Amino acid sequence: MVNVIRGDVDNKPVSSRRLAEYFENRPDINGSLYLGYPIIGTPQGGYQIDALLLSREHGIVIFNIIEGTNINIDIEEAQDESVTKVQSKLLQHKNLTERRKLMVEISAVTFAPALNNTPNDVSEDYPIITNESTLGEYLKSCKWENNQYFESLSSVIQAITSIRKRRQRSYVQREDSRGAKLQRLEDSIANLDNNQSAAVLETVEGVQRIRGLAGSGKTIVLALKVAYLQAKHPDWNIAVTFNTRSLKNQFKHFINTFTIEHTNEEPDWEKIKIIHAWGSPSTEGIYYEVCKKHNIEFRDLNAARNLTNISGQEFDKVCEEALDKIQNFDQYYDAILVDEAQDFSKHFLQLCYKILKSPKRLVYAYDELQSLNNQTMESPDVIFGKDTYGNPCVELQNKSGEPKQDIILEKCYRNSRPLLTSAHALGFGIYRNEGLIQMFDDAGLWRDIGYKVEEGNLEEGKPVKLSRTSNTSPIFLESHSKIDDLIIFKSFNNNREQNEWLVKEIEKNIREDELKYDDIMIIHSNPFTTKDAVGSSRALLFEKKINSNLAGVTNSRDDFFSEEAVTFTGIYRAKGNEAAMIYVINAHECFSGAELSRKRNILFTAMTRSKAWLRVLGYGEDMRGLVKEFEEVKKRNFVLEFTYPTEEERIIMNVINRDMSPKEHERRIQNQRNLKDIVEDLEKGIIHKEDLSPELIEKLKKQLF
Amino acid sequence: MTSHQEIYKEIKTITQKLIEVSLCDQQNFPSSTSIGRDSYEIAYSGMQDLSIALKNINYKDIYHELDKGKNYNFKMIDGALIQLLYTYRKSELISHRLAFLPSPFLEFFQNDPTIYEADEIYADIIAKNILPVPIRFDYDPDNHKELDHPKCHLTLGQFENCRIPVCSPITPNTFISFIIRSFYNTAFRKFTDDLTFSSSLFDKTITVAEEKVLHIAIY
Repeated sequence: MVNVIRGDVDNKPVSSRRLAEYFENRPDINGSLYLGYPIIGTPQGGYQIDALLLSREHGIVIFNIIEGTNINIDIEEAQDESVTKVQSKLLQHKNLTERRKLMVEISAVTFAPALNNTPNDVSEDYPIITNESTLGEYLKSCKWENNQYFESLSSVIQAITSIRKRRQRSYVQREDSRGAKLQRLEDSIANLDNNQSAAVLETVEGVQRIRGLAGSGKTIVLALKVAYLQAKHPDWNIAVTFNTRSLKNQFKHFINTFTIEHTNEEPDWEKIKIIHAWGSPSTEGIYYEVCKKHNIEFRDLNAARNLTNISGQEFDKVCEEALDKIQNFDQYYDAILVDEAQDFSKHFLQLCYKILKSPKRLVYAYDELQSLNNQTMESPDVIFGKDTYGNPCVELQNKSGEPKQDIILEKCYRNSRPLLTSAHALGFGIYRNEGLIQMFDDAGLWRDIGYKVEEGNLEEGKPVKLSRTSNTSPIFLESHSKIDDLIIFKSFNNNREQNEWLVKEIEKNIREDELKYDDIMIIHSNPFTTKDAVGSSRALLFEKKINSNLAGVTNSRDDFFSEEAVTFTGIYRAKGNEAAMIYVINAHECFSGAELSRKRNILFTAMTRSKAWLRVLGYGEDMRGLVKEFEEVKKRNFVLEFTYPTEEERIIMNVINRDMSPKEHERRIQNQRNLKDIVEDLEKGIIHKEDLSPELIEKLKKQLF
Repeated sequence: MTSHQEIYKEIKTITQKLIEVSLCDQQNFPSSTSIGRDSYEIAYSGMQDLSIALKNINYKDIYHELDKGKNYNFKMIDGALIQLLYTYRKSELISHRLAFLPSPFLEFFQNDPTIYEADEIYADIIAKNILPVPIRFDYDPDNHKELDHPKCHLTLGQFENCRIPVCSPITPNTFISFIIRSFYNTAFRKFTDDLTFSSSLFDKTITVAEEKVLHIAIY
């Protein structure tokens, strides 16, 4: 099958579409057809290839496309140039050459479907094709013998090789150390999959949504997209915005590398803004910029508190206020890309929408499951509202033959199958004694995120058995180590024991396992007590001459990892980052109690930071409960087995496990205390049943039983 | 007279305590380098002396430069950098430089303000009316000039001629205890038990004339 990836072909749309249709009807060819891609870096800047077929059978076939009948170009020269550009690009990669010879077959052809007669003055060595049957004939003549190079070739064409290979592990000495395993793991991830390349290249004239699990590559896809858009449209003003500060440098690095790959030049940072959502007079931000441009009052966090007393909704409120106050929006961006959109309310997305020039190219990427504040993403018609005729302003549809508006990245490249299913099992409380904690309203989402129904039905009230396939969770992610080493859940008697084990293990990782400092991250479950909780382990490590950081509370918040110190962090700052070895400490705090869905989301997010090994630690009764839940998933060979809750059941779950405002929280504790006092007084005979009014007793009975 | 070993040990203990109560985010190991017979420089690993290079530049840039190169013993939770540098020649203390360099970029931590706020320790730090002031205790007897340049002096706010006389060189414990008591008071009270710093003193170096102007003393 040929997978067609539709890059930007705005100046040759009709001929490009015809080419795409042809290949979509050729199930016998294995490979990809890229439209409007690649752009190759040359000393003169970016050189654009109109279309390129990459297949096992044919190697590379370059298409110079002619739209319409105008042939004012030198066809021979154009074909020669395309070939030499692609050749020179490929020759730089050692794994595509043998001695000094390129092992890839490159052909070039001019595709001009609107032309009736081919010009006579072009030599026979420069094929010009005007119809599909000639194209078929021509393809037969392109044969590639050395297609064992196919995988390496794909990865080079996707220009991803240089981005992934940023960690050198030349220090690794032992074949079987964790460091060596990690090296092999990192090498295997170099290829982008089809969904990812589509997400990078396909440009929608309007809104595009990208959904994907943690580790499916959303951030890298967005960064590559920015680079691609700039290479195609150097004059566009593009903004990338996000909530987690520590992502900034990652973005910068990816955009930089990829732009250089494309154009041989640094990105034009005047045109690309990597910009925080909120901002302040000293930091660029989308909201701050809107306030300045429209001359409305800017509110910082403190000021935002006057608008709401619900913690966590401050930003939502300031955006809502800005939308209310501004009548006519300036439109000054050509494209805005929002990462981690699950952290934002619809008001922020609307704000972005308003400041975009037509056709409103807004790309937002999110992972429903990573929301730490239990908000769910609303559908596009709720987010962007309706126009004056009552039609939704934004509809996301994937029409065949057009760039996809709604992309799902179902393959997870970070977490192994056992790890990801365990994280889901614990996040939803699949094997919890007291039953499920939360569930998607849309059962189909399980399929979207890469699960397969093994038994039963994904329907309300029906039992179902779900597992991940080797397609959505590649085997190489789990085969490097034994299951019992991939994931360890460990329960201790007390905090001291937990810390001692933690420190001992980290010491081993550094001194024996050939891991680097920045391969290790220790995540504390409760964001409010992280600083207090990690002090003693950090001090112990210091004694053993291992340095540690508490992740950027201060001005270095754009950075996250350090090469000379292991990183301790709370869950918020851990988001969007990953490390090979993850320790989640004090995990017992996520086991039970009020606001359980938030706690379990924290656990889920912490677990999914790991790209190789995971240790979940804690102590006491609650930790033993958590271990039991994990043992159950493991016993069932990482299959999720449960009865899909009905809508009613889900509503009840949502009520019990909801987030509470501080006021609610206080009231709940107060009431519980009062009730306890009343019961105790009744027991002791300090007050009697008869002292309470009969009406009150009746009401109590009704409410409680 | 406090020996170089004692100073090194004090700094090591301080570092560990500050980590333990999570008052510092990042830190360097203290170092003691031999620079001749019975001569030592006590600093931190990776120390790079930039005091001259950074003399005439904007405080923000100084801070940024030091931060970038990890030129500090500790970086406190609010971003303040602390440097503790001592030099001994022939078993004798010949200079020290103890600096507290607060972050000029202090503002709400927008990323997750709730956490930043929820912690009472920050209460000292995030009040809006605060103006961060760098503080330095230098001991530099070689350049002594009575009244103009006391052997040991305190400089506030990087003013060139601000050299408030100090009675004697300052030990790490005395300095840190002063900093935490004054600028991290909430933490100081919270961790009173963990943050006690016994203090030995150096011999007096202040002159009689210097004692007659406003000065700093510890007994």
